[in-house]
Amino acid sequence: MPEHGQELELERLLEYSDAPESGEFVVSVMNSVKREQRSRTLILWVFGLLGALFGLAGAVMLSDSIARLFSFTVYMPATETTQMVLFIVAAVAFYSWVMNDDLAVGG
Amino acid sequence: MISDLELAARVTGSNDQAAFQQLVERHQAAIRRFLRRLLTGDHGTADDLAQDTFLLAYRKLHTWRSRGSFASWLHSIAYRQFLQFTRKHARSRVMAEPPDRGTDPRESVDAEILVPRLMKLVNAEERACLTLAYAAGMSHPEISGITGLKLGTVKSHIHRGKQKLQHWLEEHDHSIPKQNSETGTGPVEEARRA
Repeated sequence: MPEHGQELELERLLEYSDAPESGEFVVSVMNSVKREQRSRTLILWVFGLLGALFGLAGAVMLSDSIARLFSFTVYMPATETTQMVLFIVAAVAFYSWVMNDDLAVGG
Repeated sequence: MISDLELAARVTGSNDQAAFQQLVERHQAAIRRFLRRLLTGDHGTADDLAQDTFLLAYRKLHTWRSRGSFASWLHSIAYRQFLQFTRKHARSRVMAEPPDRGTDPRESVDAEILVPRLMKLVNAEERACLTLAYAAGMSHPEISGITGLKLGTVKSHIHRGKQKLQHWLEEHDHSIPKQNSETGTGPVEEARRA
């Protein structure tokens, strides 16, 4: 019985204290969340615009070469073939980004 | 009260930051206390890791599957943050410091300082299992899910951890300090007064 009593006391000792936590922590977390949200938006816009500009320039410059690569599109004009290829690449990139997962969470 | 599931759906569905704030307010105490135990009382680092935990949870909220509780999911992120931290700082002073076996922690203070010192007597896995079981009130399967340890291993860590603490307390011929029901104070405080 004394052993059981000591075990119970040890369990009681291991319980968390009831002292209230400061609210500053929540403010700090929410500030970090907002900061991250802002920087994510900025990065997406900047790199999205850059990507679009380079993609457009590349498409104009290489439309004939790209069209020749895809022999099954002989009936399609060079510009449309290039647009199709760019659309597929963009869709794959977007899907990869959306499905991106963090190993630290998934275990 | 709005459930964690509903709040999480609001965050992932419409990026509702007020909903996420409610989740943080609801779970911050448990996560901070859990990390403080794991870090044997290092409040500063514990709060830094707790902040990283919530930030990661915000980023990855869409991956939370409602099979387990939100609290369990958060604890598992916090535990991984702790493991990453210990790997990075394996040789740092905080984690490598051996338990102070020469002095009785209860001579100096109450439970606030006594518990972190006692926690140094057990290893990190035992510390996590003991804290989740007795402080966070989680079941053994939940602890297994959080720590990634097998159910049997969780049970043996809890058993061994408790044995170590009890053995140390017996070895030093002390009973565990109790709150005095009349004065509301612990034995150390009473000894100081005397």
